[in-house]
Amino acid sequence: MATNRNYITGFVVSSLLMLAATILVDGHILPSFGLLLAIIGCAGIAIIAQVYFLLHIDISEHNIWNTVALVMFIPLFIITIGLTWWMFSQLYMRTMPMIPGMPGMH
Amino acid sequence: MHAQDKVVDPNEVVLWSDDYEGHDVISTRTFGFWMYVLSDGMLFATLFAAYGVLSYSHSYYTGPTPAQFVAPWYTFIQTMALFLSVLAYGFAMTALKSGSKAGVVNGIIASILLGGVFLGLNIHDVLRMISIGVTPETSGGLSAFYALTQVHAAHIFIGLIWMLVMLYQIMRQGFTEDTVGRLISLRMFWQFQAVMWVFIYIFVYLWGYMS
Repeated sequence: MATNRNYITGFVVSSLLMLAATILVDGHILPSFGLLLAIIGCAGIAIIAQVYFLLHIDISEHNIWNTVALVMFIPLFIITIGLTWWMFSQLYMRTMPMIPGMPGMH
Repeated sequence: MHAQDKVVDPNEVVLWSDDYEGHDVISTRTFGFWMYVLSDGMLFATLFAAYGVLSYSHSYYTGPTPAQFVAPWYTFIQTMALFLSVLAYGFAMTALKSGSKAGVVNGIIASILLGGVFLGLNIHDVLRMISIGVTPETSGGLSAFYALTQVHAAHIFIGLIWMLVMLYQIMRQGFTEDTVGRLISLRMFWQFQAVMWVFIYIFVYLWGYMS
């Protein structure tokens, strides 16, 4: 599994995706929401490629418990970031006063 | 029939054995270090959460926003330096499999140099931002931006020191169980920093630049 070919594949795939994301954002080629979806897609695929080709997270007998640990951690990441963001967005929506000269909520 | 299909016999199972049965030291350590790496991921998760709640336009008050100070292509070069450093470390690890000391040492030296390029570009970028008045104390949004990006940079710094230590240990001890185990742990640590950088580059730099 840990071969030069795998490391090169992981490098090439993630580099091309970062290049694509940079070109898209720098050129403002897509409308804002489409652009956001496109770069989220680039990040997601790049991360899967790195986790698979570089960190060897797969279902082989040797690596299965590393994979199980990662799979169990992913909900923790999502809950930590997602719930925190949700709570504060609700707070801002209900409490943020409009101060003159201050940029509005987005 | 695989070992895992057998019914557990309490008199024979290793976990409850009176004697030390022995186990594969390197893979046990590697799993333990993977637990640490994932916990490190939780550290980044809390910083991403903080950045998430502090990256609204009001978080910057009337000060500069990432759209005004982020340079996408500059940060893309940083990204390439880090990815190449991780690739060089991967080559060192395949050289380790064939027992090539020169291959391992060369790979790690290349990895240190490219990691140093990443860190140097980061420091230069921070100095540039500070010179145009983009400082951490300007607004909550900038505090969160600096905290997240510089905690990542600190990880890179620690990783570079770890690589220097490993070079010394390989020279002194060769490929012992200890040094090989540490090289594998360092590989996971280093590759994980590249994974975190993908999140930071896309969701902090590029998203900040476009919004």
